[in-house]
Amino acid sequence: MKRTTGRFGGDSRAGEAGTLRRHQNLPVRFWIISMMLVLIGFSSLKPR
Amino acid sequence: MLLWLFQQLGQDIRAFNVFNYLTLRAVLATLTALTISFIVGPAVIRRLTALKIGQSVRSDGPQTHLVKAGTPTMGGALILVSVAVTTLLWADLSNDYVWVALLTLLGFGVIGWVDDWRKVVEKNSRGLPSRWKYFWQSVIGLAVAAYLWQTASLPAHTELIIPFLKHATLALPAAAFIALAYFVVVGASNAVNLTDGLDGLAILPTVMVASALAIFAYVAGNAVFSKYLGVPFVPGAGELAIFCAAMAGAGLAFLWFNAYPAEVFMGDVGALALGAALGVVAVIVRQEIVLFIMCGVFVAETLSVMVQVASFKLTGKRVFRMAPIHHHYELKGWKENQVVVRFWIISMMLVLIGLSSLKLR
Repeated sequence: MKRTTGRFGGDSRAGEAGTLRRHQNLPVRFWIISMMLVLIGFSSLKPR
Repeated sequence: MLLWLFQQLGQDIRAFNVFNYLTLRAVLATLTALTISFIVGPAVIRRLTALKIGQSVRSDGPQTHLVKAGTPTMGGALILVSVAVTTLLWADLSNDYVWVALLTLLGFGVIGWVDDWRKVVEKNSRGLPSRWKYFWQSVIGLAVAAYLWQTASLPAHTELIIPFLKHATLALPAAAFIALAYFVVVGASNAVNLTDGLDGLAILPTVMVASALAIFAYVAGNAVFSKYLGVPFVPGAGELAIFCAAMAGAGLAFLWFNAYPAEVFMGDVGALALGAALGVVAVIVRQEIVLFIMCGVFVAETLSVMVQVASFKLTGKRVFRMAPIHHHYELKGWKENQVVVRFWIISMMLVLIGLSSLKLR
């Protein structure tokens, strides 16, 4: 059975082809997600 | 509120004492503000659209901006609610500086709200008349400046710190301190407002400057770090790191909706408030000159308007193709996205230069 999980390989392409109609937003939105993940990473410094 | 709750719980369960750490609360404040804005944002945009609270676009501006007409504005209210709720949740509410910063943010937000409301809802193109806008900005700016002078407990709290020079300070008399604080708060407020002309242009530099000010606040509020780095020790200023972190989180989430092509604009309600908040934090942590450096993009935008107006009045000639300067580059052929991202990069460099003043002396 051949199936693809995203419409394109690379999440950014899947987003463009999917529900994010105005795909020009995509780079900035991926940067924001990246920044959030960095923050979560930083927070691991304290709670141990 | 949560800090108080965790302090009570910490008496029985030691694990809760981890929330006493400013650094952890700052990270959690950022994530809280992000989450609030992400959850509430789409509903706010739908509501603003339903109420037809849409931006009008200046007819003499770049033609490419005409498609932006009708985009919902006053989205800055989302940022203010998010910052206020997050600060109330995570900051120490017995700290005066937290209230000064929060009330300044909300006070300038009210001025912006009235201006936006009159322009967009009441279709009054003048909005809040300029003299009244500056009058109320001045009232809040002077009140904050006078309060900070009155409550300063050490000479260092009212001195002007010259960055990059060791022990270089300038003692300010009352009038000079109040004038400086007023200029910084009101100036920053209007500078951010002038910059808010392209999608995402004002908000990310605001996020970057707020993040840097969070570090300055943390250092200023810590006796050991402030002594080591040679910055004035301002007891209690560390709590402003929570406020700044909330601004950074709310701003970042707002960028999600404000990135090109914007689904919502922040309006004066957001721009005036965020600028004033940056200004008041810089005054409290005694980093006015560093703020001036880090806010270089806002400063350049403001200066471009001043130079353009002065040049046109004195010589009848324009220096820039259009002011503020972001329109000048658009008319030179840069795409809106290029102008925005390049200004972000400049802003990032300036923030790094500002942060380097912590060590380079």
